[in-house]
Amino acid sequence: MATTAVTSAGIASEAPRSDFGRVLAQRERRFAAALLAPAFLALLATTTFPLLFLIYTSAFRMDLAMPFTNGFVGSENYQMLLSDERFWTSLLVSLVYTGSTVALQVIIGLALALLVMDMKRGQGWFRVIAILPVVLSPAVVGMIWRTFMLAPEFGIVDFLAINAGLGSKNWLGDPTLAMVSVIAIHTWQWTPFAFMVLLASLASLPEDIYEAARLDRASAWQSFRRITLPLLRPAIVMVIIMRTMVALTAFAAIFTVTAGGPGTATEILNLYAYRKSFTELSIGYGSALAVALLIVTIIISGMLFAMRRAK
Amino acid sequence: MTAKRLRIFALLAISMVFLLAWAFPIIWSVLNSLKTDSDVLAYPPKLVFAPTLEAYRDVLFGSGSILPNLLSSVIISVGTTILTMLMAVPAAYALARLRFRGKKFAGFYVLATQMLPPVGIIIPYFLMLRNIGWIDTYQGIILIYLSFSLPFAIWLLVSYFEDIPFEMEEAAYLDGASRLKTLWRIIIPQVRGGIAVTVVFVFLNAWNEFLFAVVLSGNTVRPVTVAMFNFVSVEQTLWAKLAAVSVLAMLPVVVLGVVAQKHIVKGLTVGAVKGGGRR
Repeated sequence: MATTAVTSAGIASEAPRSDFGRVLAQRERRFAAALLAPAFLALLATTTFPLLFLIYTSAFRMDLAMPFTNGFVGSENYQMLLSDERFWTSLLVSLVYTGSTVALQVIIGLALALLVMDMKRGQGWFRVIAILPVVLSPAVVGMIWRTFMLAPEFGIVDFLAINAGLGSKNWLGDPTLAMVSVIAIHTWQWTPFAFMVLLASLASLPEDIYEAARLDRASAWQSFRRITLPLLRPAIVMVIIMRTMVALTAFAAIFTVTAGGPGTATEILNLYAYRKSFTELSIGYGSALAVALLIVTIIISGMLFAMRRAK
Repeated sequence: MTAKRLRIFALLAISMVFLLAWAFPIIWSVLNSLKTDSDVLAYPPKLVFAPTLEAYRDVLFGSGSILPNLLSSVIISVGTTILTMLMAVPAAYALARLRFRGKKFAGFYVLATQMLPPVGIIIPYFLMLRNIGWIDTYQGIILIYLSFSLPFAIWLLVSYFEDIPFEMEEAAYLDGASRLKTLWRIIIPQVRGGIAVTVVFVFLNAWNEFLFAVVLSGNTVRPVTVAMFNFVSVEQTLWAKLAAVSVLAMLPVVVLGVVAQKHIVKGLTVGAVKGGGRR
């Protein structure tokens, strides 16, 4: 009894250490519990429980096409995974896809934000137009690019390539070009995001530092390198973290454009887990792949958050 | 002087290229949706043509109409939004304003749930919903959509609740108002703007979702993002109709996006400061 009194008073630090204060603190806790309960029950049911279920399923052989072979297999799926070449390829494709799209988004987004920041008129145009790709469904974006933009001898990109003397290309049929295409599509859709966030951060930087730099005759490059970049670092790191998480879990745009093909050229880990589970119907092995994806996500986000803490 | 002029021209040219690159695929879809199939396929691409609403008429009222799919999308998005807000507003208020044990952990938990890769949990969802016969039902899809809409909505709302001064609540308590009454009458009106922005985002994400929809939907419940595939097959693509469906699928989110433009940046970054994001 005495200990509870001490802890509750410790938490409600501003409340007086009287019976009245204790009753109030207790009421506040109960009220909080009642308000949180529905949301937390829903989150438990739709995130935590499925996650545990996924780990459980990954210890089974569960083949929807051949249910008579189903049964507990322990760590067999994971052993299979380690020697599965397609898994390692898809992991590599994921890393290339994520690394290149995030780098492109940050570099182009930052360059464009610096450019627009100096514009005296027309900033509004950028703000409105930049919203458009970001609010679209990646599935619709993928569909538009696959057809009206990239279809050979008909899509606008191919039309431009022909007129530039490059000739018609099979943008989604050639393994390298397909990879370039899905990277370009993701970059097209999400660079406006990096641009908008960085533009907002640039606008909030203090003007007087630049004034001082100008008086010291600092060059444009010096003031960018020594002032803008360090001040913008938190925003840049935040954009990198967000975009990396999204690129790692990207699905719809690649699924609609190439479905992982040709062959496995654009098959990121996500798509491999999906295809294994829902096309080849090996749910148990697909679950093991999904767990691997989760582990990769955790490792990468851990590294990124460490980067954020580092000065 | 000429160097400066040259610089201005170069900047203007670069800006135009980027604006065009972002707007063009959308404008081009709109143009193609107003063409006949032969005009869509014309080479070189036609910028000037006789516009027609034929594709829209076919897509909406012809055989294989996508009206039921648009309706599916609306029901799913509106249902998800209402349910999410009913749970997220109280939870966000508690996380932002109340003192209780385990508050830090509760906040961390909401964040962590947001980082789960969708492909990672689609397998258990599929098995769970199949077991209870909820595949291809509205309640099934809406329940699953809570997994991404709730954490996002809670965090976005917390950032708005944190902005209101504490004095308002204290004054209400001194007047003898109950906690619930204070929340309803004093606090919620203060965060109306934040609630509106959250509604826009939750609706948008639900409308745009694809992976869960493709696995968990069927012939009864099929949102437009999935139904779009009816117009492309190995044998043939129905170009103008596909363009019309794409435009119909884009229309609500583009309108919302442009209207809520000023708030979008905050909404896009709020999950960011603390955790992941979607898609």
